[in-house]
Amino acid sequence: MSVTGERSWTGRVREHAVAALPPEKLLPDKQPSYVASWIYVFGVLSLASLAVIIGSGTILTLKGPQWWHFTGVGHFFNSLHLWSVELFFFFMVIHLWGKYWMAAWRGGRARVWVTGAITFLVAIPCALTGYVSQQNFDAQWISTQAKDAMNSAGIGAFFNLTNFGQMYSFHVLLLPAAVVAIVVAHILLVRKHGVVPPLEWREMAAKARSPERTESSP
Amino acid sequence: MRPVAAIFNLNHPAHTVHWHFFQMSVSNIVVIVLMLAVFVIAILAPFPGHRQGGGGS
Repeated sequence: MSVTGERSWTGRVREHAVAALPPEKLLPDKQPSYVASWIYVFGVLSLASLAVIIGSGTILTLKGPQWWHFTGVGHFFNSLHLWSVELFFFFMVIHLWGKYWMAAWRGGRARVWVTGAITFLVAIPCALTGYVSQQNFDAQWISTQAKDAMNSAGIGAFFNLTNFGQMYSFHVLLLPAAVVAIVVAHILLVRKHGVVPPLEWREMAAKARSPERTESSP
Repeated sequence: MRPVAAIFNLNHPAHTVHWHFFQMSVSNIVVIVLMLAVFVIAILAPFPGHRQGGGGS
């Protein structure tokens, strides 16, 4: 607390945070009835996959390439990391399709949609840098093929796929941190605005057939 | 053969589908078809413990 009576920045941040996300919104114990559908499950499935990715990736980082290439348990964690990434993208794409077709940017949810889209875009180079960090011939092949795409896009000097140190840093720190940060923002925005309701096709059809619309239309 | 070998033999170049401008590996096509199938099932399959109501929300 400030001795001059002025509000401190911590107090202002707290007030803004609590106003935007009161505890009952941040950690709700009830959801609308329309959430009881399988199509609403794929967001949390993506999150679960991301948790396995981070966990298995942390173990791989600690143990190193000799371990993940030449031991049985290392092979297991290597495969766990790969398949959790495959499932992450699998679930995320279905989540994206579901939200696209229910126009999930409705009701002031534009930032929810945008943070989801950015997560998808950032996750792609995160996976690419993983493929070139394997420390095997597959990684060499992918890096020498993909570097042409980066060079043709004019970013090869800053994002050099044949530079293992740079790619590994991107893969184990910078890009995962970005993905996790954007996912946290995405979830907080979902909490703030609530889960988007499904489109009411009957209402939309009735509106389209309404006399007012017919009169106003050219 | 090692007991933990892959279920499918992966020791060959990828099979691809090539039709005019369209070219894609069979494995990628399988994944896309699976995603479409799961998407449709997720919309149509009843959710456990949830009774379908007659009216709107």
